[in-house]
Amino acid sequence: MKVKYFLTFTVVVAASCLLVALFTSPAHSRAASVAASGSITGKITYTGTPPKAKPIDMAKEPSCAKQHATPVTTEEVATGPDNTLEYVVVYISSGDQAPSAPTEGARYDQKGCQYVPHVLAFQVNQDLQIYNDDQTSHNIHPLAKANQEWNKSQPPGTPPIDAKYAKPEFIPVKCNIHPWMHGYFAVLGTSHFAISDKDGIYKIAGVPAGTYKVTAWQEKSSPVTQDVTVAGGETKADFSFKVTPY
Amino acid sequence: MRLKNLALGFVSALLILSLGGAATAWAQESHPAGRTGYAYKDGPFEDSGKQLYGRYCIGCHGPEGDSNGENAPWIDPKPRDFTLAVFKCRSTPTGTLPTDDDLYNAITRGFVTTNMPAWKPLSPDQRANLIAYVKSFSPRWKAEKPGTPITIPPETPINIDSVLRGRALFQKMECWKCHGPAGHGDGPSASTLTDSKDNPIRPYNFSIGTRFKCGTTNQDLYRIFMTGLDGTPMPSFADVIKPDEAWDLVHFLRSLQLALPTQELALWKAYYAAHASEVKPIGPENAPGGGK
Amino acid sequence: MVLPALSKKALWTVASSTLSFIFLILAMLLGDSRPAYTLPIHKVTAIPAFARKYGLPCSACHEAWPKLNNFGMRFRDNGYQLMNDRDSPIWQNPSYWPVAMRITPYWHRESADHVPVDTIPGNGTSGTSEITMTSHGFDLSGLDLWTAGTLYKNISFSLLPSSDENASFHFENAFVRFDNIFGSSWLNFKFGKFELNNLISEKRFLFLSAQGGLYQVYHFATFEENNAALSGVNPLNPGFGIGDNQLGIELMGHNDNSYTRYSVALLSSNDGNVDIPNRTYDTYLTFDQAFSAGRLGVQRVGAFAYIGLRPTYGYTSGGTLIPGEGLGNKGFYRAGFTGDWYAGKFDFQTVFMHGWDNAYLGTVTPANQPLPAGGQAPTWNGGFVETHYTVNPKWILLNRYEIVRVSRQAFASDARNLGDLDTYSFGSRYYPIMYSRAGLALHAEYAITKSQATGPLGEDVWASSLFIGFDFDF
Repeated sequence: MKVKYFLTFTVVVAASCLLVALFTSPAHSRAASVAASGSITGKITYTGTPPKAKPIDMAKEPSCAKQHATPVTTEEVATGPDNTLEYVVVYISSGDQAPSAPTEGARYDQKGCQYVPHVLAFQVNQDLQIYNDDQTSHNIHPLAKANQEWNKSQPPGTPPIDAKYAKPEFIPVKCNIHPWMHGYFAVLGTSHFAISDKDGIYKIAGVPAGTYKVTAWQEKSSPVTQDVTVAGGETKADFSFKVTPY
Repeated sequence: MRLKNLALGFVSALLILSLGGAATAWAQESHPAGRTGYAYKDGPFEDSGKQLYGRYCIGCHGPEGDSNGENAPWIDPKPRDFTLAVFKCRSTPTGTLPTDDDLYNAITRGFVTTNMPAWKPLSPDQRANLIAYVKSFSPRWKAEKPGTPITIPPETPINIDSVLRGRALFQKMECWKCHGPAGHGDGPSASTLTDSKDNPIRPYNFSIGTRFKCGTTNQDLYRIFMTGLDGTPMPSFADVIKPDEAWDLVHFLRSLQLALPTQELALWKAYYAAHASEVKPIGPENAPGGGK
Repeated sequence: MVLPALSKKALWTVASSTLSFIFLILAMLLGDSRPAYTLPIHKVTAIPAFARKYGLPCSACHEAWPKLNNFGMRFRDNGYQLMNDRDSPIWQNPSYWPVAMRITPYWHRESADHVPVDTIPGNGTSGTSEITMTSHGFDLSGLDLWTAGTLYKNISFSLLPSSDENASFHFENAFVRFDNIFGSSWLNFKFGKFELNNLISEKRFLFLSAQGGLYQVYHFATFEENNAALSGVNPLNPGFGIGDNQLGIELMGHNDNSYTRYSVALLSSNDGNVDIPNRTYDTYLTFDQAFSAGRLGVQRVGAFAYIGLRPTYGYTSGGTLIPGEGLGNKGFYRAGFTGDWYAGKFDFQTVFMHGWDNAYLGTVTPANQPLPAGGQAPTWNGGFVETHYTVNPKWILLNRYEIVRVSRQAFASDARNLGDLDTYSFGSRYYPIMYSRAGLALHAEYAITKSQATGPLGEDVWASSLFIGFDFDF
C-alpha cells in the first residue's frame, strides 16, 4: 500500500515539475510580449558636482597616443549636456520573466588603448567576444568576484577572446599593462536592459505589460531603483544620481 | 509491510543523505598526493584541518580566511584571501580552481620573498588536512570542480636557437613592458601595476631571482605563463603561445636569471660574446607598432 | 632493551597525570613534609620577537611555548630564518623591536625533610636534630632579555643576558652562526656560548619549579662529587651539566626539512663558565633522525655522546691555589639515546643516559695523590619519560618521571643506592592569549624528588615544590 503511495507521489511531483517548466518557458513569455509589450525610456541626470574628467597621458604607449589628436579623458562619470550621465545601465531588476536567449553575441573592443564601449551590458551565458584593435598587446583582466576571475594576454593580430559569464554581476575590467584603461561588463539576468547614450537617454524595448522594479546603475554611485508600470506604449522613467567631486 | 516501509524510508534517506553528503564532502575533504585530508574530522591522535589552521595559519590569513589576520596589515605582499578562491600557482587554466595537488605543493613549497613559509616540516597528512580546511572558506569549491590541468609536452632541446627564438617571443609578446628588457622588473608599466585588490605589486625580477613563487623547474616556469597567476597582473598566454614556442620562451627566461648558473645562461653568454653587434635590444624600438 | 620498560612507565605516568592533576589542590592542602633541595630555576626561552617579525602566531613554531614543534625546529636549524629571501634585517620594518623579555612572578611552596639543625634554635651545643623545613610565599624568577635572529642572510646570532631573581646578570648565550655554508644546510658553524644540540632541550622545556625545573639526569653527579661542587673545594672544576650552555664551536647540519640532524662540537672544559683557566677541551656529538608515522605524526630518535676532561688540582703558591692552569685532567663521558614521540595530541620525550666519571673525579682526589682505598670510577644510568597532552594550542598538560640509578659508587664502601634519584613532576600550562606580539601562560606545577641514602644518617631525603605562576613574554 505505502509503496503505491510513494509511486503516486513521485508521479505527481514529476508532473508538476513538467508543468512548472512549461509555464516558465521562454516560448510562453515571448508569446506574452508580442501580445502587449511596451517600452521604458527616460533620461539619466545628476545633481551635485561631478568629478572633473581628467586627461589621460598615453605617452607610455606611443602607438595609442598618436591615435588621439587630443588626449582622451577619464570616463568614470561621463557627463553629457544638461547634467546628463552616459554609460548608466538601466535594467529590470525584479518582476521580469526569464530572459530570452540573445540572438547575437556581445562585442568589446580595445581601441586606442581604451575600452569601447566603456560599459558593455549583456546577458548571463551570452557569448562575448573581445577584440584587440591596437598595435600593442593588451591583457584583458575582468575582476569578477561572483564569476571566475581570469586574465589573458591578447597580442595584436590574434583572434578575439571568447568569454561567457554564468552569474549576474557588474565586473570591472582592467588592463594591467595600460593602467588608465577601465571598463565594465554589466552581466545581467534579464533581457530587458539599455545603456544611456551621450545625451543621457535610454530606451528598453519589448517589455511586456506589468509592474516591475527598474534599477539604474552607475559605476561610481549607489544604484537607484524605482517601480515602473508598463501598459503598452512608452513609459517614462527618469533617474537622478547624486554625484560628488571625488 | 512495515518492514518494507522501513526499508524504503531507509533507502531514500540514505540516498538523500549521500547526495547531500557528496555535495558537501568535496569541500570538506582533499585528495592531494594520494592521501585524504579532512577539514573537520579529528581524533585523539590527529588534529583536523580547522585545528591545524588555528595553530599555524590564523595569524596572517585570519579566522575567516579572508586575509584579515592580526598581522596582515604589516606584511607585504598581503596573505591570500581564501574566500575568493583565486590562486596564483595552479596547473589549471586561468579562471579555474586549482587541483588539490596544486594547493598541497603551494603550502609545502611556501612562497619565496613573502611571509608564507614552506610548511614542509608538517607531516603530509597534516598538510592534506590544512588544504581541506582552506577549501571550506569559499562556496566556489562546492559549486565548481577544479580545472583540468594543462598538458605540458616534453621539453624541447636546450640550444642557442631555442634561446634566440624565446628572445624574439619575449619581444613580440611584450613581456618587457612589465618585466623590463633585461627582466629586471623595471618595464614601462611596472611601476603602475596593481593586483586584483588594488595593492601595488612588482613583476618578477629575473636578474636577482633564483626561485619563482610557483616553483623552481622548467616545467614550473612553463606552467606559470601558460596558466597565468590569477589575482595578479600576470596573464595566461595559453591562447597565444604554442607549446613549442613556450619551451623556447622558458629557455630564454632562464638566460635572464643571472644569479642562477644554468645551461641556457651559459649558451646565451657564449653567443653574446661572439655576436654582440647582431643582437637587437629588446624594447619599444623593436615593438611591432614601432616607437617612431 | 630499555624501551619496553619505559613504555610501562609511560603508561603509568599518563594514568597518574590525570589523577594527580585532580589531586594537585589536595596536595597543597595536605601540607606534606617533603624536602627542600633548592636548585636554581632554569629559565627557558621563547621569543615573541620572531612572531612579530614574520607575522606567525606563537603556536606556529611552538607546540606550546617554549617547546618547539617540527616547524619551529626547522626555523631554528636554519639560523632563525624562514629561508624565503626575506630574513635579512634589511627587509624588516625599521620599527621592528627585535628583543623579547621573559619573567615569571609566582607563588611557591618548598619543602625538604631530614634537614640537620640545632635541636634548640640558637643553641649551638644543643645537639643536632633532623627536621622538615617548609617555606612558601610569593617570589620572582629571573629575567631573560633575549635577542636573536639574523645579522644578514645566513648569518645568525643570539644574545641572552639573563638575570637571577636578584637582577644579577650573566650571559646565558652569545653566539654568531654562519648558516648554510656553501649553500648547504649540512654545514652550519656556530661560535660562542650556546646550548648544546640536545634533541630534548632543557632550555625550552615546560617546567619551572625548583624540583621539577631541571632534568636531573642532565646534571647528575654522584654524592661525593655533588658535595664537592657545592662546597667549591676545586674552583678549577665547575662541574658539568649537559643542559648547561657551553663555550666553544659547533658544526651542525640538517637536511631540508630538519628530519635528519647531526652536530659536532668542540668546547672548553669550563661548563660554559667564563674566566676559568683551562687547557683542555671537551667534545659533543649528536645525531637524530625523524620519520613520519602516518596519521600519528612525526617521530624522532637520537643519540648523543659527551666526552670531556676536568682538572683535579692546580698550581699553588704558599699552599694557596693560583688560578692558572688546571692540572691532573681526568676524563668523563655521558652518552645515551633520546626520543620524541608523537601520537597526535600526546607526545612523549624519552631520554636514556649512561654516565662515567674517572675515579679521581668520582672520589674528588687530586691526580697527583694516590686514590683512596676503595676508590673506583663511578657509573650510573638514568633517564626520564616526559608526557605532554596538548589539549589545544592554548593548553598543555605535563608530566615527567625521572630516575637515576648509580651502578657503581665512587667508593666500594658507599651504600649501594647512595644518590639514586626519583623525581615525579606534574603540571599544566594554560595560555589565555595566543597572538604574535606577546605571550602569557598560567603555570601550575607540582614536583617531588626522592634522593636515596643522602640524609645525615643515610636516610632517603624527599624534597617537593609546588608552583603557581604567571609566565609572561613580550
